[in-house]
Amino acid sequence: MKHSRPALLAALLFAAATLPWWAGNQYQLHLATLISAYWVLIGGLNLVVGYAGQLSIGHVGLLAIGAYCFAILAGAHGVHPALAVAAAGALCGLCGLLLGLPSLRLPGFYFAMATAAFSLIVTEMSLALGGLTGGGVGIAVPAFPPPFDTPQGFYYLCAGAALLVTWLTGNAARGTWGRGLIAIRDSQVTAQAVGVPVFRAKLVAFVASGIAAGLAGALFGALQSYITPDTFPFDLGLFFFVCIIIGGRGSIVGPFVGTAVLTALPELVAPLAKLGTFFYGLLLLVVVLLVPEGIGRLVEAAIRRFRPAREESVPVRPDLARLAAAIREGRG
Amino acid sequence: MDGLLIAIVSGVANGAVYGATALAYNAMFSTSKVLSVTTGHLAMLGGVFGAWFITALGVPAWLALALAIAVGALFGLLTELIAIRRVLARSDEHLWLLSTLALATMVSQAVGLWWGTEPKPFPRLIAQDDTAGPLDQKYWLPVLVALLLAGLLELFYRRTLYGKLFVAMSEDAFAARARGIPTDLVRAASYALAGAMGALAGFAAAQLTFAYFAIGLTLTLNGFIALAVGGLGSNPGALVGGLVLGVLSAVTTYFIGGEFQQTVAVGLLMIVLLVRPQGLFGHPDVRPV
Repeated sequence: MKHSRPALLAALLFAAATLPWWAGNQYQLHLATLISAYWVLIGGLNLVVGYAGQLSIGHVGLLAIGAYCFAILAGAHGVHPALAVAAAGALCGLCGLLLGLPSLRLPGFYFAMATAAFSLIVTEMSLALGGLTGGGVGIAVPAFPPPFDTPQGFYYLCAGAALLVTWLTGNAARGTWGRGLIAIRDSQVTAQAVGVPVFRAKLVAFVASGIAAGLAGALFGALQSYITPDTFPFDLGLFFFVCIIIGGRGSIVGPFVGTAVLTALPELVAPLAKLGTFFYGLLLLVVVLLVPEGIGRLVEAAIRRFRPAREESVPVRPDLARLAAAIREGRG
Repeated sequence: MDGLLIAIVSGVANGAVYGATALAYNAMFSTSKVLSVTTGHLAMLGGVFGAWFITALGVPAWLALALAIAVGALFGLLTELIAIRRVLARSDEHLWLLSTLALATMVSQAVGLWWGTEPKPFPRLIAQDDTAGPLDQKYWLPVLVALLLAGLLELFYRRTLYGKLFVAMSEDAFAARARGIPTDLVRAASYALAGAMGALAGFAAAQLTFAYFAIGLTLTLNGFIALAVGGLGSNPGALVGGLVLGVLSAVTTYFIGGEFQQTVAVGLLMIVLLVRPQGLFGHPDVRPV
């Protein structure tokens, strides 16, 4: 398994880099761009849900804030898009901080409800502040400047952002912080006992996911080119959450595959699109009841069964002569 | 002045629906220590199925009520069988949240696909013209039902042997099992009971809320806020919490406008959790290590 990882990764990267050439049509390219934009958010959310085990179902609210912030700054005020993206990230990080400060102290169900309520509040606000957000009519989102104004260019921008998020979360997850977050997920009391700063770790992960959601919001808004409060339904937040749970908690590849499959599947299989969110609910129920570790873990287990890892034996060969000499010396 | 009166009356009525939802939360929580995301959807089922039985099938109102309650009880039972029993046996903290969330999503989407995503009016239950103003049945029916439910639950828990099984299980499920109480059966019964209660509340309130698939989520959230404000596990607290939430959001709607209802509700939740985390009538819980 270990030695095939870099090859697989390189193949994936190559496929992603050459996608505009082999994608059958513009629509598939659009889908790939959408998956990348979603992954920017889900990759960040993965730290909160998959690693720290805090069940946030309302990240769509942060996505909406990021998209509106980008649309208003870059569109109405003519700020340079790069600055507007940075502002969207910063604003969503701040919102994540403000939301996380009270709600991350709460136990699981309370936290989930607080985040769900947050996404409903954002919808209410975007309707109420009509002067800023266009209310129910919505607001146009400007495209990125060249070279990112073509579908191909924009795809590379989104894919680059997705890659960056993957790299950052991968690094964070492998280090001390990631281990601490996993400890919090598995047992908060134990984590506290061994010295993990529980609240601070959760808050940092949550703010990081907020920043990622802001960036994703800017990309997602530019991809949609026109946003209304209906662009950000509560179900979308549920979708992000389901992608991670189905992919498997505590992994990065699993949720990515979950995102790609769940985004593409309803678009490619028409009957599923009609079922929409019902299908996500069903999938979530099946996964929770049958494979609570996620499908990614199942695949890993299957691979291990068919290709059992070589038993590595390290024979111990004590240097008897030297030992004897040392003992003799000690006596003497 | 008249407008404010109507606002307060409708706030009390909405608060009664939140309170009744919180009662259903409590009934399920007491036996399983699970806060089910499906709770608000029980009331939604009561409203939608009530409207369907009366308008589409032409069933008389009393029979429609009985059938709607049966649908709610059945869904409660299914919740326990599908989403709770297996998951509790595996004893992972978060899994019940995921499984009930999945089931709640499925039922609300299924109703949306079948019934339509537009709110539909609920027929009048009692002959009454539209000039009664604050005395209209859509305001006092939910209040009556919420009070009735709380009273009957209290009688059931205190005066009947079956009720005492529920109480015993909520005190200590393991001790109850050791004493020979069939805990799985009692838990299933409590879910069916909560389903019936939720459906009854939803049926009575549907003239106010309309038969609408999306009120399930709203009620899950607001019923939970009522519960957290009143104190988890306390039935009088559930009613008081619902009343506070309903009147508060009605009054802010009257003075500021309806755009900030959810914000006010969550603000109330946050303030109560910061000042008195166990709620108005709750007991501070000791964290087991």
